Amino acid sequence: MAKSLMIVDDSATMRKIIMRTVRMSGLNFKRTEEAGNGVEALEKLSAGPVDVMLVDINMPEMNGAELVKKVREIPAYKKTKIIMVSTESSQEVIEDVMADGADGFIIKPFTPEKFQEKLSPFVN
Amino acid sequence: MIEQAVLGDALLQGAKEVFETMVFMNLEESSQLDPSIDGRALLGSIAFKGNLEGSLHICCNALCAQAIAVNMLGIDSAEKINEEETCDAMCEVTNMVMGCFKSKLADAVGDLEVSIPSVVRGRELKNTLGKGASKILVKVNIADEYVGELSLLYRNSPEQPSDKPGIDK
Repeated sequence: MAKSLMIVDDSATMRKIIMRTVRMSGLNFKRTEEAGNGVEALEKLSAGPVDVMLVDINMPEMNGAELVKKVREIPAYKKTKIIMVSTESSQEVIEDVMADGADGFIIKPFTPEKFQEKLSPFVN
Repeated sequence: MIEQAVLGDALLQGAKEVFETMVFMNLEESSQLDPSIDGRALLGSIAFKGNLEGSLHICCNALCAQAIAVNMLGIDSAEKINEEETCDAMCEVTNMVMGCFKSKLADAVGDLEVSIPSVVRGRELKNTLGKGASKILVKVNIADEYVGELSLLYRNSPEQPSDKPGIDK
């Protein structure tokens, strides 16, 4: 079943690269949205929740870890799956963000196969 | 103590991983004696601090940077890419190489805090970290077509206790 996806990253180029990699992974989303930081992501979510969010950690204004906490405080977004996509590979950071409510973690550099592995349980 | 060769290897292996996985270009240590970067160049930089402090840099000419951006974005022609996208792609490559470098050295030097990457453009670009800093320079061949430079400027952190890992030159 096609679902909705939001990519949250402060780099427009990285958002395009992620979108391209998602397509290469063979996963199809009915609706895709983009946001440049946590604040923008929350604004876009208020217009309608999405099924899956791919979220960078280091972003200006509101970073990915703060965004996860905010999203998890809002009951309307309870079913939204959040996968972090970051160069950050420290076990402590990964454990913290997972404890705050993220559903998965993809470390950059990534492959289409990695997206397929992490996203397909939430898409199919 | 971690040796300088280990840092150089982590830098090269990190760059190889990023170029193979995300840039779809082959990157190898250059066997030429002294290849130089011709013309206008782009220099991607990112700073780090922790038990080590310094900065990591990737430098190549404008044509190579454009090819990197074209490949990362999956665009069929270099004409469709603008300067901002090229710089952004260089920033992302620098950021990811730093991520790989940091991950490979995590056991030896502990966690490193990193800055936001930046890119400067110009000719004969040089980087420096001031007095007491060491430099590792790895010349590379990208896609058998372009010359590039990976460099690391660093010093042991002043706050580093004597029993913490450090660098052995």
